[in-house]
Amino acid sequence: MSPEVLSVILLTLQVATVSTLLVLLPATVLGYALARYEFYGKTVLSALVGLPLVLPPTAVGFLFLRLFAVDGPFGRETLGFDLHILLTWKGAVIATATMSLPLVARTARATFEGINPRLELMAHTLGHGRLATFFQYSLPMARRGLLGAVILGFTRAMGEFGATVTIAGNIPGRTQTIAAAIFSAQQVGAQARADFLMLVAIVLGFLAILSAELLGHSRSLPGLARP
Amino acid sequence: MTPLLPSHDSRQAGSLDGLTVQVRLPLDRFELNIDVQTAKHVTGIFGVSGAGKTSLLETICGVRRQARGIIALGAETWLDSDRGVFVKPSQRHIGYVPQDGLLFPHKNVRHNLLAGKKRGLQRGHAVQQTFETVVHILELGRLLERTVHTLSGGERQRVALGRALCSGPRLLLLDEPFASLDVALRRKLLPFLRRVRAEFQTPMLFVSHDPLEVQALCDDLIVLGDGRIISHGDPRTVLTASHIFPLAEQYGFENILPCYSVAGSGSTGQVRLGEREGGERAPVELVTVRSEAQPGEALLAGIPAHDIMLATQRPEGLSARNVLPARITQLRSVGHVGLATAELSPDLPPLTVEVTEKSFVELGLRVGSKVFLVIKATSCRLYRTGESRRA
Repeated sequence: MSPEVLSVILLTLQVATVSTLLVLLPATVLGYALARYEFYGKTVLSALVGLPLVLPPTAVGFLFLRLFAVDGPFGRETLGFDLHILLTWKGAVIATATMSLPLVARTARATFEGINPRLELMAHTLGHGRLATFFQYSLPMARRGLLGAVILGFTRAMGEFGATVTIAGNIPGRTQTIAAAIFSAQQVGAQARADFLMLVAIVLGFLAILSAELLGHSRSLPGLARP
Repeated sequence: MTPLLPSHDSRQAGSLDGLTVQVRLPLDRFELNIDVQTAKHVTGIFGVSGAGKTSLLETICGVRRQARGIIALGAETWLDSDRGVFVKPSQRHIGYVPQDGLLFPHKNVRHNLLAGKKRGLQRGHAVQQTFETVVHILELGRLLERTVHTLSGGERQRVALGRALCSGPRLLLLDEPFASLDVALRRKLLPFLRRVRAEFQTPMLFVSHDPLEVQALCDDLIVLGDGRIISHGDPRTVLTASHIFPLAEQYGFENILPCYSVAGSGSTGQVRLGEREGGERAPVELVTVRSEAQPGEALLAGIPAHDIMLATQRPEGLSARNVLPARITQLRSVGHVGLATAELSPDLPPLTVEVTEKSFVELGLRVGSKVFLVIKATSCRLYRTGESRRA
């Protein structure tokens, strides 16, 4: 394996991991709020959360491009300093996080909706306040579904292409992920390189889905939707 | 030694915290409007499905936030909406046992039982000691390390009951804890509830539409109809009241008498009625179907009101195994049937007997009449109480 290919794989894993960690907390909180509470603007919030799923990824990337452009609202001229987002791996993280948040949040919501809310009331009557109930009851009861959501979010982040190349570019060794590298290799006719990267993508994706399946059947992780 | 029938028990009542519930809560079909005070150990709540029983318990728990009024236990006020008092459900120190158990799927039986441990300890409750008592009386020892989805329905409900007790509650709310189980299993679980009653002084509200459970467990009974209290008092008196009896009969009313097994021969069993062995002046014995009870074991005998015949003279040539002399103390008509109250002995709870009004007239029955109660052995059901053999 050439050092360039290795750096592509490592960067892909780095971007996907940071993006998943970034998304996990807000997506879980959003999923829980949408599953459990009624509030003003809930439907609009729910639609906004799902929006990146239906938009062309390049449109999402371009939106960030405008936001972080030199003269944009988060650009150097407006803030007075440079956030170094565009054409960096941080830009790739923002792109992938935005694209995977809806998947994680919607899966988390479905998971919480599958847990009988009366179990949480029961925890209240046993002396647990709201926070304690969330961390000691809701989260552990949802852990299997949430792990599934995380794997889904991670794989989505690994495969993201459109938004990532728009905001972070396709710079070998700096911002080039597997998805972009396959595209480049194919464009320049580097057959062997494209083949190898394709195999890596298949293996990583398969492992992720396999672990999700195994978690789904694990006896040590009871608690998804079994009221 | 605890008496067999709760209504005979008045000693414990004085030491308990009184519960006051004066609440209004709009529901779909009617308004829940309750004004009740009770200081008894176990208060039953009886009524048809949809009468507001569960809504009342949820209001007492604090999960029905729209409720207005006052809820207080002893010196602790949980709700006083006029003065802006609302104590959160987690601060009310209530042990709640729902119909469907609601065991936590991510914890095993032991950790379900200890789910309320923290609050119990904060309140200075001897959680470990209670845990051991609960495991012993509810026979949970072999289940402790099991995951909850491997439990049977009856085991789940026992764990749910144990979990509520281990949190050291000031008030226990039992919402038809055995309603989802079949009758045979419910009868097997009755002794567990009676042991809880004997072991724990915690006041309890017990929702049930099983006249046997209500009579075997409750000192006091409230009947709800469309969100209001339509009767309140001693369970036997309430269930046999003219306006409640048809409902009680619909849910399988039986006259419940304390008794203990004396012998059994062949296909029949024999019990002596009364609370204590040897305590009766003239013991009344009842021939029943064969039971598994040990001689001397405390039992409850159940005799449906419509399975008792009245005779003005001792009948002969009958297959019925029991012909018991009794005295009529009350005669009433309820709808199309007549209800006679008959006393076997001053020491025993009177029996309610259902006959046609025509029979009242033809037999010339009046209060004070001496009659014979004719009861088939197969109409006498025996229920084990979970109490050990009487000395």
